Amino acid sequence: MSEQLFKVTIDNITVEVPAGTTILHAARQIGGEVAPPAMCYYSKLEGSGGKCRTCLVEVSKGSEKDPRPMPKLVASCRTTVMDGMEVKNITSPKVLDARAGVVEFLLINHPLDCPVCDQAGECHLQDLSYEHGKEETRYEFQRRTFPKVDLGDKIQLHMTRCIMCFRCVFTADQLTEKREHGILDRGDHAQIATFIQKNLHNEFIGNVIDVCPVGALTDKTFRFKNRVWFTKPVDAHRDCENCCGEAQLWMRGDEVFRVTARKDEWGEVKEASNGKTGWICNTCRFDKKEAKDWVIDGPSKINRHSVISQGHYVGLQKPTETLPNVLHGRQPKLLMDIHSVSEVNKQNIELSALDRPAHSTDFK
Amino acid sequence: MGRKLLLEKAHVENIRLYDVYRREGGYRSVEKALKTMAPDAVTEEVKKSGLRGRGGAGFPAGMKWSFLAKPEGVPRYLVVNADESEPGTFKDRYLMEFLPHLLIEGMIVSSYALGSNNSYIYIRGEYAWIVDILEKAITEAKQNGWLGKNILGSGFDCDIHVQRGAGAYICGEETALIESLEGKRGNPRIKPPFPAVKGVWGCPTVVNNVETIAAVVPIINEGGDEYAKIGVGKSTGTKLISACGNINKPGVYEIDMTISVEDFIYSDEWCGGIANGKKLKACIPGGSSVPILPANLLLKTAKGETRYMNYESLSDGGFASGSMMGSGGFIVLDEDQCIVRNTYSLARFYRHESCGQCSPCREGTGWMEKILWRLENGEGKMSDIDLLWDIQRKIEGNTICPLGDAAAWPVAAAIRHFRDEFEWHVNHAQEAQVRNFGLGHYADEIHIPVST
Repeated sequence: MSEQLFKVTIDNITVEVPAGTTILHAARQIGGEVAPPAMCYYSKLEGSGGKCRTCLVEVSKGSEKDPRPMPKLVASCRTTVMDGMEVKNITSPKVLDARAGVVEFLLINHPLDCPVCDQAGECHLQDLSYEHGKEETRYEFQRRTFPKVDLGDKIQLHMTRCIMCFRCVFTADQLTEKREHGILDRGDHAQIATFIQKNLHNEFIGNVIDVCPVGALTDKTFRFKNRVWFTKPVDAHRDCENCCGEAQLWMRGDEVFRVTARKDEWGEVKEASNGKTGWICNTCRFDKKEAKDWVIDGPSKINRHSVISQGHYVGLQKPTETLPNVLHGRQPKLLMDIHSVSEVNKQNIELSALDRPAHSTDFK
Repeated sequence: MGRKLLLEKAHVENIRLYDVYRREGGYRSVEKALKTMAPDAVTEEVKKSGLRGRGGAGFPAGMKWSFLAKPEGVPRYLVVNADESEPGTFKDRYLMEFLPHLLIEGMIVSSYALGSNNSYIYIRGEYAWIVDILEKAITEAKQNGWLGKNILGSGFDCDIHVQRGAGAYICGEETALIESLEGKRGNPRIKPPFPAVKGVWGCPTVVNNVETIAAVVPIINEGGDEYAKIGVGKSTGTKLISACGNINKPGVYEIDMTISVEDFIYSDEWCGGIANGKKLKACIPGGSSVPILPANLLLKTAKGETRYMNYESLSDGGFASGSMMGSGGFIVLDEDQCIVRNTYSLARFYRHESCGQCSPCREGTGWMEKILWRLENGEGKMSDIDLLWDIQRKIEGNTICPLGDAAAWPVAAAIRHFRDEFEWHVNHAQEAQVRNFGLGHYADEIHIPVST
């Protein structure tokens, strides 16, 4: 049975996948725009998915045996393919319309405080809204807020930013021995919280930061330290008795600002070299913040569309200077240095030495 | 006067007690089924009867039973959905309160057909006193050998357990009900797998409404074919309607689905007309989540035919000009009622009851409520009406469970049929605070173009 291959056509591209594969994974094999966005689904977490509804697709043909289309849009992350299934993702206006609706719903109560949010630059909701959302909002009411819940000195919870993907609940359930947080209340006032304000202690609980698609759970030890796109991600490893020890360091110069698990192109934690999911422990994540703790493997690959890659010049081609070439190797002659003749703007004035705001007279 | 199958004995004194119930012919169906019929024959009989699920969706019950997976060595479960939380619906409450043994009897027969040795009644938390009634009935049935091991020497064991919910509307959705029954948070599951394959504790499960299970009793007593003769078309048997709102005689009525909506509202046998001599303005014929209809479309279909109280006729015209039978919560609104206020109050209910699992319903219901509040309180804008329409359109069909649809339909129908009342609320914001829109043209006869 497991050898059986199903043919599935997504946006007119046909792939063969093993039986039991979800539409989302089949589409990810094709990649690019054909892969539906997923905010709540996480392939490494059992039972996740189906909630955010951003991955909705239209099934225009059920299977070879039963060609009837499915009556409603289906969540591609939780629907398995059938042989001969035809799926429309970006070729279906219905899907695009529904997805734009979902993005709007996700954003109406999101604070949009990206300028002060540590997740900015690597936020899935940002990417989603840029790709599938609309520019303006039609929501004219106060956004919802929550009383603050303190989760201890390592993890920062911003409930207002949460989109209720349940990923962190699954993570805590499946990675730690005892779940310490969950959902309180229901509907639009539901919130992630610990029961009666408890700190999160478990050794692997830090992974909830990595699975959070938005800035609801962030690293307190990295809080407000730097924007992610100013830091350089490098892959590194260390011998760790708790976890695989394979992590990603976010550095600036020799300074390690943040440690996270390594992520794949879908923003999910990668497999480690031992074949298991590369979750990292709290010690690696929060306590090993010096370059000497780690063996650096090399720069991480970052998608060139990501803002994080803005300082990474991979395959950069520097323009060659042409003047020395045409001048037979001579450098061009400097005729006049404008600074030396100009009387405007004193070049050597030390602004920081002034104990008051600079004035035009200072430059005369 | 239509035939009564379920509530026939409801007014016999002390029918709640086993001795009286048995004297009046109770538990005959159990004797018949367990002694003379094979389990599959019971299912076949229910199939023949054409009984449709009474919980709201109207799915044929016999068909649902036949979908139940029957793997070897895996227990199967029957769960009775008594989480009757739909605003306007209170028929199961009446049934369980006055005829608890009818439900128990139906459950024994159904459990026998489905091979369920442990059956559950999931009852809404607010029905606290009915739990005591049901538990007393179960004890009585057990003492008299209708429950327990080897019932009537047939070799069939069955026990019935009552589980109280904690007061969430969403737990009436069958997969959320199962989650809640298992002791978890009542979030609907993603289907497939359907409960018929993986239900309670991963085992095949059938979830049926109280009234559906109770209707199994007359089906077995009289035979499926006899039952199918009552009613019309695919709406067989009798249906309990809980009528409420601005009528003279609110209450639970058992009808045989051949009467017209007009008769049902105005006849003295049933609702007895609109209270205080007012005029009919609108009606929600099947519980709060089905589309609301204005008086003219309620009494006559868009084709000008008389509308009857059955599944087909009520949904004639689709959502454009029809509604649904739903769970039978018949809410009547007279000329003094404000449709905007009514829609706001429903939207508030759905916002409060959304489980918060999937985003369109969690965010959309709250947004609709806020806009409707604004319209109702004279702060609305004309664009709000189109915005409401767009929000409901984006919720409908895009959610995990039908609560999203249930939240979207009342808003959609209110705008579809009562748009001018919404516009009046915007254009006459001050006036709308002191008086209601009134009847308008909603009871006027519809002009039906005649083709020659």
